[in-house]
Amino acid sequence: MNLILQPVMVDTGEEGEGCLVFAEGWLVAVLVRLSETHEDAAGFWFLEKGFGRLDRPDPPIFSDLPQAEQWIKEHLEIRRPPRWPGDRGEV
Amino acid sequence: MPANASPEHQRLIAKLESIGTLTREERLAIAALPLRPKQVPENSDIVRDGDAPSESCLLVEGFLCRYKMLPDGGRQILAIHTPGDIPDLQSLQLKVMDHSLGTLTPCRVAFVAHKDLHEITLRYPGITALFWRDTLIDAAIFREWLTGVGRRTAHQRIAHLICEIHVRLKVVGLADNGGFNLPITQAELADSLGLSTVHVNRVLQDLRRDGLIESRGKYLAVNDWRALEAAGGFDPRYLHVL
Repeated sequence: MNLILQPVMVDTGEEGEGCLVFAEGWLVAVLVRLSETHEDAAGFWFLEKGFGRLDRPDPPIFSDLPQAEQWIKEHLEIRRPPRWPGDRGEV
Repeated sequence: MPANASPEHQRLIAKLESIGTLTREERLAIAALPLRPKQVPENSDIVRDGDAPSESCLLVEGFLCRYKMLPDGGRQILAIHTPGDIPDLQSLQLKVMDHSLGTLTPCRVAFVAHKDLHEITLRYPGITALFWRDTLIDAAIFREWLTGVGRRTAHQRIAHLICEIHVRLKVVGLADNGGFNLPITQAELADSLGLSTVHVNRVLQDLRRDGLIESRGKYLAVNDWRALEAAGGFDPRYLHVL
């Protein structure tokens, strides 16, 4: 699976550096670079918003973009659970 | 306050008198309640999900929390407790714990045996009524937290929680209008409010920048109570303090 990262400014009240993450043409996540106010996590990348299988209540922080991409790929590859009897789920 | 009451007993009496009235006889009965004081380090469990304790825990100093762990390691803090509270009073009636109780900071606690609690509640209906009232207020606080987690923004949740803790500490004489000691981490606030630590940090920065609060080490100064109350949509009525 190929991910495409597109730089974007995100209005989070911080410096704004972020990127849209596309997988197979679908927007799957928005990552934001954390500013100096986050002290130990400054410069890390935060999953500001994950869509679909990447949506979670406690979004993770990544030390760099390759780590974020790895996590996104792993979580997109988890098979979606069946939603009705006979549904085999999707990859 | 009975002259011979220990600091632990005084804490419990002060708490109960913040939500109702006690007769002189009831105060004396509480002052004679056998308590087993203990110092507990931070991040320690007092009682765990699934335990069937034979005593309840009075918080004398520090902050306790009730929480549930999820299979993926996530934690939801269900309530933050301030001195004078007996967070696991419910175990007197509900024998098996359906959540855990742990320390957020180093705590001084005092254990009270269920048999002694049973005895005092049988003898003094006024004390029973106050314990009942306390658990009802506990439920009112849960309703407020649920409303917050479900429908309030990150800014509102954090402002609301700061207001709530401030009021609860004030009624037991542990805070003045200026502020209070809040040695709780951003991760603990995040677990309480269903937020990420990133969002908690952003909101605290905003509240500081707007002049509502100020952090001085562990001390949180409330510089503009009215603005903080408005930011959180806070109405203290649900705390039912006298």
